[in-house]
Amino acid sequence: MLSLSIRKRLPGFTLEVDWEADDPVVALFGPSGAGKSLTLQCLAGLVRPDGGRIMVNGRVFDDVAGGVHLPPQARRLGYVFQGYALFPHLTVAENVGFGLRDRARAERRRRTADVCERLGLAELAHRHPRELSGGQQQRVALGRALAPDPEVLLLDEPLSALDVPLRRQLRLELATLIRDWGKAVVLVTHDLAEACQLGDRLIVYDRGRVVQAAPTSEVLHRPASETVARLMGLRNIVRGTVAKATADRIELAWRGHTIEAVNSHVRPYLAPPGTAVAFCVRPEYVRLIRKDRTGPDPAHHMNLLSGTIVGELDQGTVWTLLFRLDAPGAPSQGTYDLEIEIPKLVYEMLDVARDRHWRVSVHRGALQVLPTA
Amino acid sequence: MDLFPLWLSLQVSGVATGLTLLVGVPVAWCLARRAFPGRGFVEGLVVLPLVLPPTVLGYYLLLVVGRPGPLGRLLGRLGIDVAFTWRAAVLAACVGSVALLIKSAQAGFEGVDRRLEQAARTLGRSEWSIFWTVTLPLAWRSVLAGAVLAFCRAMGEFGITLMVAGSIPGKTQTLALAIYDHAQANQMVEANALALIAVGVVAVMLFGVNRLGPPR
Repeated sequence: MLSLSIRKRLPGFTLEVDWEADDPVVALFGPSGAGKSLTLQCLAGLVRPDGGRIMVNGRVFDDVAGGVHLPPQARRLGYVFQGYALFPHLTVAENVGFGLRDRARAERRRRTADVCERLGLAELAHRHPRELSGGQQQRVALGRALAPDPEVLLLDEPLSALDVPLRRQLRLELATLIRDWGKAVVLVTHDLAEACQLGDRLIVYDRGRVVQAAPTSEVLHRPASETVARLMGLRNIVRGTVAKATADRIELAWRGHTIEAVNSHVRPYLAPPGTAVAFCVRPEYVRLIRKDRTGPDPAHHMNLLSGTIVGELDQGTVWTLLFRLDAPGAPSQGTYDLEIEIPKLVYEMLDVARDRHWRVSVHRGALQVLPTA
Repeated sequence: MDLFPLWLSLQVSGVATGLTLLVGVPVAWCLARRAFPGRGFVEGLVVLPLVLPPTVLGYYLLLVVGRPGPLGRLLGRLGIDVAFTWRAAVLAACVGSVALLIKSAQAGFEGVDRRLEQAARTLGRSEWSIFWTVTLPLAWRSVLAGAVLAFCRAMGEFGITLMVAGSIPGKTQTLALAIYDHAQANQMVEANALALIAVGVVAVMLFGVNRLGPPR
């Protein structure tokens, strides 16, 4: 159980966060410079907060008002630094055993050998860090942090030092390792895939504040605000106004159309008509309506819009179409209103390359209202 | 030929370098790693001996450790004479060379990635242990290079030594002072020999330091 409520002022930056978590893996996610690593440093005791409290499993680490500041040595946390910060003058075994100074020599040797064995480092025990690959260095850093049997493992951008193909592979390896060792983990990352794959709970950071803290799937499917949606890389974030809001439906006025969305059953958004609101449209849920069939079926085709394709991007397996509505006024996203994603097969069957004017329908479940935080 | 000045210089420089290490390494570590009030002042103080005229330094040193000086009187009561003894030569060599050691060691400590020390902290190591197992092993080349520079500088120390230790043959006349005396007395063979020896000693030391190679 981690609970953290701290304030730290640095020149040109203020961190002010307050969150709690009791999940196996907590991922602090957000852009670079949002204060994630600073939070981790406060948690580890390497940086002293200006105000607030930090508690881990019932132990008070920091309590500024009460004058408590436990030194990093006494916190029993395993810290894996960005870029690993392995001791370059020591061998793999010496690195792994570095935190076991206070144990008897035999016990130290046994534990070091044990950890090296479990991480597949036994063969490399006498090498120096500079002789290791990126993946091997990561395992040494993990081994060094895990050897003293810490209460919580802190990982600061554990994969950012690696090339992209290796990163994918090591992300899987890291996920397995975290599960096998059964340690509570706090992970800092600016990589969305990493955060979602490894994190059970996301704490989304932006400019020194927490903008959403919730289970990973909730952040993914119900971003709390436009800021979160942008950080999560959601596309088609546009602005309209509320026409009518009820507990289960919400009608939005946008570019001369009225479109209907599902209201959140967790946190229904019940703003009065006329309220400006941002919402996003998932590009893979926008359907082109075939022209060779009879008129659209109202049961399946809701939120009908018509417009022209003004650009397209080949994404490999899918096409992204830039769609501009037949409505007066400036398009919502520069030269177009919506990004639409369709499989290549559909693109070819409908002959989209030549036919540029279409009617589309947007499923109400694919529309996500984003209250301004 | 009398080689006493050579042996005296080697001994004085050796002792001075040892003392310089004892004082200079902690100062260098503090300057590299700690924020404390008066840090700028200390940093300036360290450089002062490099820029002040040696005779000025020697003069003030004489005021402090000379018989009537505050420290001189104190030590005199303990039966230790400083001014115009080999001890004064050591003191002069320390003052003249400590800045070189501090600057080099400070650069070495600053070159050690702070995150390595932080990692050691999260692994439960005390600050003392971190210094000996992380910081110093990664910075020892710079410390050693600084010590060698300090030693060479101590070998060549002239002005301060002349002021506080004098140039008493067989007692406080170091190599640099002896060369000066020989040259003044037009004993060019002796001056030449001692000068060559001085060049040789310094050259060997500097060559040795360069042989250490780049850090890993």
